[in-house]
Amino acid sequence: MNFENRIENFAITILNHRIKVVFSAIILIILISSGIRFLETPSGYRGFVQDDFKYYQDILELEEKYGNIDVLTYVIKPNKGDIFQKNVLKLIDELTEASWQTPYSSRVSSITNHQFTEVDGDDISIDNFIINVDGLTEENLSNLRELAKKEDSIVNFVMSESTNVGLININLEMPEDIAFKKPIDFAWNQKMIFEKKYPEIFVGVAGSAQFSHNFQSVAEADASKMYPGFLLLIIILTYLLLRSVMSSLIALLVIIFSILPSLGSAGWFGFEAQPPLIAAPIIILTISLAHAIHMLSIALTNMNEGMSKNDAIIDSLKINFTPIFLTSFTTGVGIAGLNFGDIPAYSEMANTVAVGAAFGFILSVTLLPALFSLLPIKSNYKESRMLFFLKKLASLIYKFKERFVIIISLICIYVFSLLPNLYFDDYFGSYFDRVPEWVEVKDIVDPEFGSSFFTFADIETNEPNGITNPEYLNKLDEFEKWLVQQESVADVSTVSDVVKNLHKNMNGGLEEYYKIPDNKALIAQYFLMYEFSVPYGMDLKNQMTADKSSSRMLIRTNYSTAIETVAFNKEVNLWIENNLKPFKTKGVAGIPIMMPHLFTENTNGLLLGLLFSFSFIILVVGLSLRSLRYGIISVIPNVVPFILGFGILTLFTDMVTASHQVAVLISIGLVVDATIHFLSKYQKAISMKLKADEAIQYCFKYVGYPIIIASICLFSGFIFLTQSLFFNNFVIGGMCAIIIIIALLIDLLLLPALLLIFGKKA
Amino acid sequence: MKNIIIVLIILIGTKLSIAESLEEKGYNIAKSSYESGRGFTDMISDQLMILIDPKGNKVTREISAKSLENLDPYDGDKNITYFETPKDVEGTVMLSHTHINEDDDQWLYLPALTRVKRISSSNKSGSFMGSEVAFEDFSAGDYRKYKWKYIGEEMYEGDLCYVLESYPTYENSGYTKRVGLTDELLRARKIDFYDRKGELLKTVFFEDYNLYGDKIWMADSMKVENHQNKNATIFQWQNRKLNVGLDKKDFEKSSLMRLAD
Repeated sequence: MNFENRIENFAITILNHRIKVVFSAIILIILISSGIRFLETPSGYRGFVQDDFKYYQDILELEEKYGNIDVLTYVIKPNKGDIFQKNVLKLIDELTEASWQTPYSSRVSSITNHQFTEVDGDDISIDNFIINVDGLTEENLSNLRELAKKEDSIVNFVMSESTNVGLININLEMPEDIAFKKPIDFAWNQKMIFEKKYPEIFVGVAGSAQFSHNFQSVAEADASKMYPGFLLLIIILTYLLLRSVMSSLIALLVIIFSILPSLGSAGWFGFEAQPPLIAAPIIILTISLAHAIHMLSIALTNMNEGMSKNDAIIDSLKINFTPIFLTSFTTGVGIAGLNFGDIPAYSEMANTVAVGAAFGFILSVTLLPALFSLLPIKSNYKESRMLFFLKKLASLIYKFKERFVIIISLICIYVFSLLPNLYFDDYFGSYFDRVPEWVEVKDIVDPEFGSSFFTFADIETNEPNGITNPEYLNKLDEFEKWLVQQESVADVSTVSDVVKNLHKNMNGGLEEYYKIPDNKALIAQYFLMYEFSVPYGMDLKNQMTADKSSSRMLIRTNYSTAIETVAFNKEVNLWIENNLKPFKTKGVAGIPIMMPHLFTENTNGLLLGLLFSFSFIILVVGLSLRSLRYGIISVIPNVVPFILGFGILTLFTDMVTASHQVAVLISIGLVVDATIHFLSKYQKAISMKLKADEAIQYCFKYVGYPIIIASICLFSGFIFLTQSLFFNNFVIGGMCAIIIIIALLIDLLLLPALLLIFGKKA
Repeated sequence: MKNIIIVLIILIGTKLSIAESLEEKGYNIAKSSYESGRGFTDMISDQLMILIDPKGNKVTREISAKSLENLDPYDGDKNITYFETPKDVEGTVMLSHTHINEDDDQWLYLPALTRVKRISSSNKSGSFMGSEVAFEDFSAGDYRKYKWKYIGEEMYEGDLCYVLESYPTYENSGYTKRVGLTDELLRARKIDFYDRKGELLKTVFFEDYNLYGDKIWMADSMKVENHQNKNATIFQWQNRKLNVGLDKKDFEKSSLMRLAD
């Protein structure tokens, strides 16, 4: 029994037990889909890295010694003037007080509660920098401005150098595996209250807590805003393409039934609903949609030609079984290449899509025929004008085959020459550039402060109380001086700043004493004094260990790309190696260091994944065609869309990010689909002893239309994905859409010409 | 009609007096508890402070202290603290005149600077020497710094205890509420501290009670567990002696100045 007969028997069995098939499918789907409730809320940037990632481990070690690094920041900017106005200071003062109520907060720092030391001989008084805002005169305000500008621990920490922007930094001590929703909701509520009370002052929410929360809020917003529109799109699209309400309904059911259990499986696997996962249903949907359209369009055409409903669907299954399987398979394998990367969120998305592709295939060959047979379907399906156009196109290509090949080759060569401009990099600062609220704050903070992220360095002496050693403090000073000269660094603060300030204050407040004293005991006594005169949440515990053997440097970095960051990190490590002795450090750690490294390493992993997926798929295509010649020919239409796609990318940017690689892995399986269809039909035509031009006509007639339809489905799906608030999804969607459209053009224009020139002739 | 009104007034009156009596009862227990610890005249002790981080690493600091009781009900005691370890702070002395609802006066002698500095800070809710104890916790038993409420009774380690809630009355406190257990001997056994956002911050356990001078119970160990940052601190009192006849003049600023000469 040959393969086609087996498929036919299979189809007949399905139709004979159609009710059982439908019910068992539905029950199974409900069972698996019930796992959706286990989908975990994204844990922000921490869920984006693997626990054993070196740069994440650095952060965890740092947190073990000095407490959680996450900060929630209010950004305060008056519409007119700087922050030294009564109403602005009043807002800061009130908001600072209110901030102590923030869930999980451990300390709150702002210009108003900054501990300011006043010296009068041997009398030292320590108090909030700003007290009794209502009583401040114009003169007081301008004095405070001058004082603040001179205070190292105010500038760039709670106030910008220009004095135009104030910050309130809230340190959060988050319990493990708790998302930032509570503190962020609290903060946004405060923002609304205060903006209402002070309409002339902007209040924004920023910091790593907001950054982290963006992962969650963006995923939620995407899911609730994108999905309904997308569903509507499929309904319209299927109806337009099939012109049958019942058929559209079947397509819709198959699509939804492919998506739900794959998300259910994701839940059972314990995946997190990170923004990349949002793309999974859309990708599954486009694949299943393409399957359904292939199946239904041929069945409806058959009915038009007088076949019975059951025969029509059996015949369609016979024609489509292998291509549908191959599409699902190559898509699954292609996207599985993401598992070579270092970002769990992308692997989880890939594996969800792979599961979805499997469901798409299974349902398209079981549930779909069963439903088609069960439901009352009348065919209004008319052969469109598309076929006429395709016929014209085929003869045009036949006539000018050499020119088609030459012109497209020239375009390719030109584009190819653009490719060397491309370079791998990433810019984690851009992830949420499509979230207006985030951008609004970013546009205020970045020019004034560099960024709202901190980097840290834990500098160890390896002996208790070692940090009171003047040699150590001078070394910190030296390191700080070097750091601030680096382009990536906006500001640095260390415990030596604290010591210098204390030394000055203990010596009558004279500027000449703003230095590190050359006496270890004295420094130890300063710290002791400092330690029992500070208020709640203002101590040095987040800057030094209890045994005073090490201290933490705070570095405010400018936004940098992955390449810049990796280079900066190297420079820092080199400086440390050459200069820091006898003190030790593991180097700088923090979100601005971790994220770029994550993407650099991810890029390397993905390149391996690309190599794997590409060669595997090419091999599968070659094997399925059972011909070396066609296998080689197939490489061209499968590779050219990517070259042209990246050529088009150079029009916008030369930076190739991980998202672009992800796009390649997603689209590779889809691109080969059309090639397989076309080549297998061509082989069949040749075996039917058709002449070359007739063979091409045959291909266009039987696969031209489905290829176009499938590409339209995929293209619209990816265009929809560009609506995502997550920048990376936007890039993936855009890139995939471009590649799919180019692939369609190549399959319709270049592939036939190539076959006419290089293909076997009957 | 008149009678009904009188009955109503009485009823409302008793209702109010019951509500009031919870606060009063709390206040009275706190006051008695505080007063049961008074009458020591003066006191000397050595103190050991052990800081324990979440991994179990320990750091020990040694202090010795002198206190002078102030019988003025509107003012606080006077204390001198001598810092002994780490070696770099040896010889550092702090003198403080505590007050009830206003800032303490505080003088510090730094031997490396050979000067006495007067430190006034309105805000002492912060960590004491990097521990989980705040300065304000040292006067945790002073009934005059809080508003009280009697909640009920509870068994604790086999002893019947009064459950008292207290709310700080002074500005800049790091807490919003405390829930404490005081046993029938009027000894504070355990206090839960709630931070500014009303969440449980830490628990202080008073242990190792000894009877001094046949009449005053004093805890010679105080264990603090911070529930938020998972650090702990243990305070231990050793060689505690009461009523040793300290010179009042030692507790004046001038005696500290003499160190600087």
